[in-house]
Amino acid sequence: MGEFYSVAVTTLAQQADTGTKMIHIGKNTSSTIISKGISAMKGQNTYRGLVKIAASAVGARNYSECDSLLIGSNCGAHTFPYLETKDNVGQVEHEATTSKISDEQLFYLRQRGVNEEDAVSMIVHGFCKQVFSQLPMEYAVEAKALLELTLEGSVG
Amino acid sequence: MITLDIKDLHAKIGDKEILKGLNLQLEAGKVHAIMGPNGAGKSTLSKAIVGHYDVEITAGDILYKGKSIIEMEAEERALEGIFLSFQHPVEIPGVNNAYFLRTALNAKRKHEGKEELNAAEFLRAMKGHLEALGMKSDMISRSLNEGFSGGEKKRNEILQMLILEPEVIILDEIDSGLDIDALRAVSEGINKMKDGKRTFLVITHYSRILDYIEPDYIHVLKEGKVIKTAGVELVAKLEADGYDGIVEE
Repeated sequence: MGEFYSVAVTTLAQQADTGTKMIHIGKNTSSTIISKGISAMKGQNTYRGLVKIAASAVGARNYSECDSLLIGSNCGAHTFPYLETKDNVGQVEHEATTSKISDEQLFYLRQRGVNEEDAVSMIVHGFCKQVFSQLPMEYAVEAKALLELTLEGSVG
Repeated sequence: MITLDIKDLHAKIGDKEILKGLNLQLEAGKVHAIMGPNGAGKSTLSKAIVGHYDVEITAGDILYKGKSIIEMEAEERALEGIFLSFQHPVEIPGVNNAYFLRTALNAKRKHEGKEELNAAEFLRAMKGHLEALGMKSDMISRSLNEGFSGGEKKRNEILQMLILEPEVIILDEIDSGLDIDALRAVSEGINKMKDGKRTFLVITHYSRILDYIEPDYIHVLKEGKVIKTAGVELVAKLEADGYDGIVEE
């Protein structure tokens, strides 16, 4: 059972190319990949991941999920999943989503009295929750703070 | 007392002028209904009041309790007590509904110099509202509006209204897409907020909702202006003659 959880953030003109390799050798092995990418300003985020199921890994299973969140309209997100399966009874699933923080979402939160910066952070944390909830508490708090620091001033 | 005084308001969306010298006074403690044909400017008016980014005010003013608000940020207007129930509430994935509601409530409490509520206090305060609106308790642990039915979204808007206790409540097509049970629950929620001080602006196409929320005034909006203001008796006339039968005063 292998697990990989990641959150990658790019802002300003940063480009990130991140991902993982999951190589299945043993029988009935399973793995999960949850990768979140956040792009702000002119940032570009790329997920590049390999899932390899060797011939020996009979009945192996993998689930991959790559979600991208765009803040603003000058950034981008790219997903390159590589799947190599030599076993015929394995199961490999890949899901990818891209969403954008919309003006409508921000306005909705602001109309309820939440200021713009808090509104963005609320949406971003909601997006990362699946990954952060896997972290030990102290580390999750750090990760959240780091995320906030990175995205500070990247809106508006 | 006048809560909201809209004076000769001109506003456009993009290049199109929608409000063309609109005058409207909303009295404290009264329910004002705005009716009018499609494209008359009803939604633009509500957007102009709450400071929506789509709307550009080119002339005129909006006074709230005597002070101009047109230069204020949307969140400031909200904190000062102006609430809009959206016609189409937006979905925000991953953002827990209860967390959002508590953040909004605490932003308001902080603004008013009150102590913030912790999660337990908040949940206690919510419970009665949820039951009154016929909302299942799992609705507040779901993501904000995500996958909610039309009726659930509107109930969630009313829940926010009940929690935030605003002074000016704008209901934009609150009745659209509601079945009779949801309409009744939503109306009861609204009526509960009537306390003789709060001001309501009910924007609607149909008179159906007005059977549940009794308005004090009916304003007819046409081509960006209020062309007639009358009591509730105007509804019957509108039903009979349509908007074309109303002559500008």
